[in-house]
Amino acid sequence: MKIQELAERLELKAATKVFDRDVTGVYISDMVSDVIANAKAGDLLVTAQAHANVIAAANLVDNCAVVITQGKALADDVVKMAEKAEIPVFTTALNRWQMATKLYEAGIR
Amino acid sequence: MTTEPTTRRYEMVNVRQGYLIIEQENHTFARRSYFAAERTPPLEEYREGNQFWKPHEAAQTFQFDVRDTTTGEVVPFGELVGLLYYACCAKGTAVHQMGDLAHDQQISLYVAITTEGAEDSGPLPHEKVRVLNALFNGRLTSPRKKVLILPDLFGLQRQITYAQVAIDFGLTSME
Repeated sequence: MKIQELAERLELKAATKVFDRDVTGVYISDMVSDVIANAKAGDLLVTAQAHANVIAAANLVDNCAVVITQGKALADDVVKMAEKAEIPVFTTALNRWQMATKLYEAGIR
Repeated sequence: MTTEPTTRRYEMVNVRQGYLIIEQENHTFARRSYFAAERTPPLEEYREGNQFWKPHEAAQTFQFDVRDTTTGEVVPFGELVGLLYYACCAKGTAVHQMGDLAHDQQISLYVAITTEGAEDSGPLPHEKVRVLNALFNGRLTSPRKKVLILPDLFGLQRQITYAQVAIDFGLTSME
């Protein structure tokens, strides 16, 4: 499934421009070191962290997009960084568990 | 025609969770950092000759080694604190300018930051940087994307805060 389609189905709010590509998996973590060690290219990263280093890590491991949970907003400089790295970032009011459930229901395994 | 994915030559092994501990000497304000793979961060003050070291900061992080899957050789990366993304550096700095230029060619620039203050501290040797570049580029699937990791030839270790490095500094409080 493509990012754009998934975002529409899950009613995710785009915080950046959407650079569409396939979602091949999901990784849920709030630790940058954990993302660098374990996330895979093409994974959708679900996190409660809206820090610039989340984008740095997602870019390093080639995550397809980032979903920031619990309604957290991104700082302008983080939005610019993500767009430059072509990492689309979405926000949702849901928490990580609720997001995981919705992703599973949408067929993302 | 389909293309079989190429077998990656390097893989991350011996991933160790722990803490980056930054200590400061009481009189000279000299700093040094090290990785502690302990369940709780060892935040203790102690004497070393006429120096008095006390904990300055600590953060959760990890360490890893890299294994060459063809030869089985394991390259240790105990001195690596983390990778600094160029966009996390101040605009106008050499790294930011270089990163901006590299970005135009779809290359994401990172600098390998090593521990400070230890006798063997210094930029990561070029051979190890080559291994890191192979490791992370081998994980990419976006066809146009490249990662370029450079050794810290810029003295960034003394200029940046650890919060700029892609580790968990300041991120675990969830504030």
